[in-house]
Amino acid sequence: MWPLNYGAENMIDTYSRHRPLALLAIVVVAQVLLLAFQIKGEHDVRLIRYWAVALVTPLERAGTWSFSKVGGAWGGYVGLRNARAENEHMRIELDQLRLRNRELESQAAEVARLGALLSFRNAHPEASMLPAQVIGSSADPTSHTLFINRGEHDRLRMNMGVVTPDGIVGKIVEVLPDTAQVLLINDKDSGVGALFSATRTHGVVRGSGDPEPRMDYVVNDEKVQPGDAIVTSGEDRIFPKDFPIGTVESCKPSNPFQTIRVQPSARLDRLEEVLVLLSQQEVVFKKQEAPAAANAPAKTAPANPSATPQ
Amino acid sequence: MLNLGERSDPNVEVHKFYGGAVLAVCLLALVFQAFLHKYGRWSELIDLPLLVTIYFGVSRRNPVTGLFLGGTIGILQDALSHDNPIGMYGIAKTMVGYLASSIGGRIDTEHPLSRFGLVFCFFHFHQIVLAITQRVLLNHSAPLFTLRLFLDSLVTAAFAVPLFALLDRLRRPS
Repeated sequence: MWPLNYGAENMIDTYSRHRPLALLAIVVVAQVLLLAFQIKGEHDVRLIRYWAVALVTPLERAGTWSFSKVGGAWGGYVGLRNARAENEHMRIELDQLRLRNRELESQAAEVARLGALLSFRNAHPEASMLPAQVIGSSADPTSHTLFINRGEHDRLRMNMGVVTPDGIVGKIVEVLPDTAQVLLINDKDSGVGALFSATRTHGVVRGSGDPEPRMDYVVNDEKVQPGDAIVTSGEDRIFPKDFPIGTVESCKPSNPFQTIRVQPSARLDRLEEVLVLLSQQEVVFKKQEAPAAANAPAKTAPANPSATPQ
Repeated sequence: MLNLGERSDPNVEVHKFYGGAVLAVCLLALVFQAFLHKYGRWSELIDLPLLVTIYFGVSRRNPVTGLFLGGTIGILQDALSHDNPIGMYGIAKTMVGYLASSIGGRIDTEHPLSRFGLVFCFFHFHQIVLAITQRVLLNHSAPLFTLRLFLDSLVTAAFAVPLFALLDRLRRPS
C-alpha cells in the first residue's frame, strides 16, 4: 500500500542519509570505551568500570527501590491480611480463654465454698451434717423456699435445720426421695427462736415476705442498736444454740414490741451449697466457727462452749 | 578558480589513487612521525598522520571511508606512541576524517589557499577534540588554544600545501 511503501522508503532514505553519522558515532563511542578500558582513575580503578558502575547503579537503585516499595506494599498487604486473620483467631481464642477463666473462677469459688463447708463440718464433729447442693428455688416470688439435691434416701427428715458457715438458712419442710424443699428464714411462714448475742434478750425471727426477716417480741424498753448480733436460741430444737442468724439492720419502737429488721448472716439470695443438720438432738458446738465470727459484729458474744440447745 | 566556502559541484570528481598508495602513504606518515619524534620539536610541530587523514578525506569524499581511515591512523599513532592510551588520537582523527570527507564534497579543496585554510581549521579542530578528550577522560588540563598552537597550525598548514601537491601525483588520472 502507498502509505506503507512511502514510510518504508522514507525510513530507508533517512537511514542512508544518516548512515555515515551513525557510523561516526559508533566508531567514536567504541574508541571512547577503548580509552575508558585503558585509563585508570582514582584508586587504580579503570574508567570503564567507573562508568559501568555509574550507569548501572542508578538502575539498580531504582530497581531496588521499586522492589522494596512493591515488596513493602505487598508485604504490608499480606501482613494486613494475616494480621486480620490472626486478630480474628486471637479474638476467638480470647473469648474461649475468658470463658475458661470464668469456669475456673467459678470452680475456684465453688472449691472455696466447699472448703469452707468442709472446714465448718470438721470444726463441729459432734454435729452430724450432710452437705447438699441447691438445685432450684420456688417459682412463687412471695415464697422463699429452695430445693436441695438431698432427700429421703439421704436420711433427711422434716424440720431438719439447714445452715451455712455464715449462719442459718432455714429448715426442711418437704422431703422427697432425692430432693428436699427448704423454707428460708425470710419466708413469711418461718420462725426461729433467737436472742441477742450481747444482751441475751429473746425473741423470734420471722419472715415477712421481704428479703429481710424481722425479730419480734422485743419490748420497747430493750436497747437495740443496728449491728447487734442475733443468734439462735436453740429453743426450737431445729438449730443449735448460739448459731448466727444475722444482725440488726434497723429498729424502731412500735406497739407493743419494737420493729426490728434483721440482715441475715447467710446470703440467702446466693446460696449454692448448704449443710443439713441431720441430728435433731441437742447439739453442743464446741466453739463458734471463724467465718461466722468474722461476719458477726464486734458486739457478738463468744459462743458458750457449755451452752446446750433447749 | 578558488571557491572557498562555496558548495562545490554535486558532480565533483572523486579522486582515486594507485593501488596501495593510500596504505603506503599512511604507513610512511606514521613511520616518519615516529622518526620525527626523535627530534622532539618537529614531531609536535607537524602532525603527518593528521595531514594524511585530511588529504585522503577530502580526496575520497566518502565520510565512511574518511572516518575509518582517520580512526585507523589515529589508533596506529596511539599504538606507536609510548604514553598515549589507544583511542586518544583515534577519536580526534576519526572526527577529522569524517568532517574532511564531508567537506571535501562541498567545497573546492584543490586550491593551495583552500588547502591551507582547511588544514589550519582541521588542526585546531583536531586539537580541540584532543584537548576535550584528555580533559574528560584523563583529567589533564590540555589547552584548547594557545599562541604556540596557533603558530604550529600555521606551520602545519604551510607544510601541508606542498605535501598535498606531492600527494596529488599519486592520483590515478581520471
